[in-house]
Amino acid sequence: MKKLLYIEMDNCIGCRSCLAACTQCGGHDQRNRNYVYDVNPFVNRQTIPLMCLHCVNPACARSCPAQAIQITPEGAVLSAMVEKCIGCQNCTIACPYGIPKFDEEQNLMYKCDLCYDRTKEGIPPMCASVCPTNTLQWITEDELAEKQEQYRLGKWISSHQPFDPLEGETNVKISLPGILQGKQKLF
Amino acid sequence: MLKDKFYRDIPNVHHPKEKLVATHCSYCGMQCGMNLRVDTDKNTIIGVEPRYDWPVTLGKMCPKGVTAYQQTNHADRLLRPLIRDDASKKGTKEGFREASWEEAYDLIVRKFKALQTQYGKDSLSVYSGVSMTNEKCYLTGKFARVALQTRYIDYNGRFCMSSAAAGFLRSFGVDRGSTLPWTDIHETDCLFIAGSNTAECHPTSMFRVWEVQNRGGYLIVADPRETPLARRADIHLDLKPGTDLALANCMVNLLIQNGYADESFVQAHTNGYEETKELVSIFTAEYTSEITGVAPDKLIRAAEIYGKAPNAIVMFARGIEQQTRGSDNVSAYTNMCLITGKIGRPKSGVATLTGQGNGQGGREHGQKADALPGYRKITNPKHVGEVCKVWGIEPEEMPQPGVSAYEMFDLMQNKTIRALYLLCSNPAVSAPNLNYVKAALKNLDFMVCADIYLSESAEFADVVLPSVTWSEDEGTVTNLEGRIIKINKAQEPIGESKPDWLIEVELAERMGRGKYFSHLTTAAKVAEEFRLASKGGYADYYGATWDKIEKQNGVFWPCKDNDDPGTPYMFLDQQYYHSDGKAKICALPYRPPAEEPCEQFPLRLTTGRVVYHYLSGNQTRRIQFLHDMCPEPYVEVHPETAGQYGIEHDEIVRLFTRRGEAHFKVKIIEAIRKDTVFVPYHFGHEQSINLLTNPALDPMSRMPEFKVCAAQIEKKAVSGEAVR
Repeated sequence: MKKLLYIEMDNCIGCRSCLAACTQCGGHDQRNRNYVYDVNPFVNRQTIPLMCLHCVNPACARSCPAQAIQITPEGAVLSAMVEKCIGCQNCTIACPYGIPKFDEEQNLMYKCDLCYDRTKEGIPPMCASVCPTNTLQWITEDELAEKQEQYRLGKWISSHQPFDPLEGETNVKISLPGILQGKQKLF
Repeated sequence: MLKDKFYRDIPNVHHPKEKLVATHCSYCGMQCGMNLRVDTDKNTIIGVEPRYDWPVTLGKMCPKGVTAYQQTNHADRLLRPLIRDDASKKGTKEGFREASWEEAYDLIVRKFKALQTQYGKDSLSVYSGVSMTNEKCYLTGKFARVALQTRYIDYNGRFCMSSAAAGFLRSFGVDRGSTLPWTDIHETDCLFIAGSNTAECHPTSMFRVWEVQNRGGYLIVADPRETPLARRADIHLDLKPGTDLALANCMVNLLIQNGYADESFVQAHTNGYEETKELVSIFTAEYTSEITGVAPDKLIRAAEIYGKAPNAIVMFARGIEQQTRGSDNVSAYTNMCLITGKIGRPKSGVATLTGQGNGQGGREHGQKADALPGYRKITNPKHVGEVCKVWGIEPEEMPQPGVSAYEMFDLMQNKTIRALYLLCSNPAVSAPNLNYVKAALKNLDFMVCADIYLSESAEFADVVLPSVTWSEDEGTVTNLEGRIIKINKAQEPIGESKPDWLIEVELAERMGRGKYFSHLTTAAKVAEEFRLASKGGYADYYGATWDKIEKQNGVFWPCKDNDDPGTPYMFLDQQYYHSDGKAKICALPYRPPAEEPCEQFPLRLTTGRVVYHYLSGNQTRRIQFLHDMCPEPYVEVHPETAGQYGIEHDEIVRLFTRRGEAHFKVKIIEAIRKDTVFVPYHFGHEQSINLLTNPALDPMSRMPEFKVCAAQIEKKAVSGEAVR
């Protein structure tokens, strides 16, 4: 069954294990390709991860004059191909989430490829494998539907729902912080 | 073990010319399962792959776990023994030269024998740790008592789990850190977590913690800081550091007052209820609020939730334990379970979050000043007799009890202890009141340090022995559940490094005690003797063979024989380990911390961990990723407090107490009490917060009061400007 990356931001504890794990994926050359932000560091310890959301119609690939950014049949938006990337950095400007990173030395863009060597086999990406809090989850579409049902709470919803918090349709789904709002308590 | 709701059947990625070695992390008591990736051509560890089928952590790892493998072949590894001939260079990294094992052993044995001849057997001491296997911990106790024949052995668990141990022993007559498996946590209805920054110290517990709330259950957190755990709590009891005993007594009082006590349970299975009821009756919400600074309505609501919850687990960690009333705090929070009967059944109970990898097993098998294998007592003649039989010595040869870790430094200061064999620990960072501790280490006639890196403590040694990382040896550890698990060897020791058990055997032989040690030629043989030595003790590991551990995904102690599958749940039969089979509800009068704020030192200083570092940081500070994420300590200050001192974010200030001072960058955040400042303790030399901490000891556990002392901040003079 097809699985997808789902991000439940409320769970994040800012451990940045996802960053450490990113370096461990086969093709990642020990460099991480994701981000964790402190939301309001002078006030509280809320953090959120930001990974590539693998847009269905990705601005990075659209903006690439050299067609260096491939999209796999599963919808993973890959790092720039070494032989095609001209180092123009259009993609880093085009991406609404600031995902692509640029290697000045190699004159090459690199980004999250959804651990394609893992996910193409149905194995979760490294970030979601290690995430100690289930902020990052590798779930089935049925499980996603359940989540969306559970968290249908006004503006606190997953992507591609009526009040869409994201720019466009993405293969990675998210729930913004606030998933416990309106939670029916056990007692 | 049953597969829980989070379990997924996931294959691993296998790269060509690589094998995966299933093992566990080197760091905290979670002991997360991991696979080490080994290059089969070079027999070298090159990476990590999640261990999805480990039932406790399911492949999850914190950033320390993900990068743990980078310790093994790190450029800083000690590859050969080091000797320093010039004692005047003690306390620095200078003056070491490489030496052969034989030369190092000869020097150690010559010095040890000379000191013992001149000053007696007890002039030697052993200071060890619990970030190593049960086999090593067991053998270290035997090494001290049988090879060195000294009474003075203690270990860094004294600064970690000793209060939990003392508290549980008093409440239950037995000290197993958790009364139930970790896989129950997400199924309970209420978690009451006190003094644990679980999100940073035991991160892979967090998916289970959040699930309690996702199910509609409650999370109550007692902590002076709004930690990443407290951020999402239903109730955050933001108490003043050092006031836990008042808070716990208040919870017990409110539970009783509001009819949540289970009278029939109390009657049948406990002692001490009436006197406790009487003692806690003064701890009304209002009175407790005055002591703790927590709003009365929050106290009332917290007790109501815990009382109403069909199932609940009380959890705590060093926040409540590293106090002069640490063991009282443990028993007082445990009272909540005992008066409500929420213990001795699935999904309900009490647990301490064990700090070190083998903090549980390492405290059970004879590294403690007064303990022998199987959690036996060195003061009990029957226990001594049982262990002597296994060791092959006469009971008269068994040394007397020693003293606790911090008190060993007193004896170094007054020259009762002349020499130290230090292993698996870094007290020059981790002990309190470091100016005193470092002077004590300098005062030694001779010091040996076995470590994988040249630690801050190794800087005080005359001889440094290169030991191996966890990945270059095998054995068992006991995780925070009380589950005995297997650590597997993934590569050969690098350079000339050796496992601690082997070093101890070889030293014992050279001390003329070979007949008690020479048969221990492999870790497996140490394991055989160790299981036998634990047999009949209440931490009985006899039935926990390596084979059974692998087959069952771990074995919970007690496990008495081959047919015994082990004991995941404690007290299911409501039989406690006191002689009458009952648990003790403890009446514990509140007393404030040893040092309260005053005019001169108006702030409360508390210390703790960050997610990127482990203990003294000797391992994690060397890992590039972890260093990049947290390169230096800082002092966390509430913005209002910062305003009063006229200090700003990132400004460097002088923080000082009666014992010492250090300079830290200010980190401003509202998520801390206004009267409290926090500094992480993982850093060495002039960056150590333990230069400032209070060595006042818990009278029962001998735990120093790391978690609270009185401090003051001083704004540093900018050049050409007067101090404020």
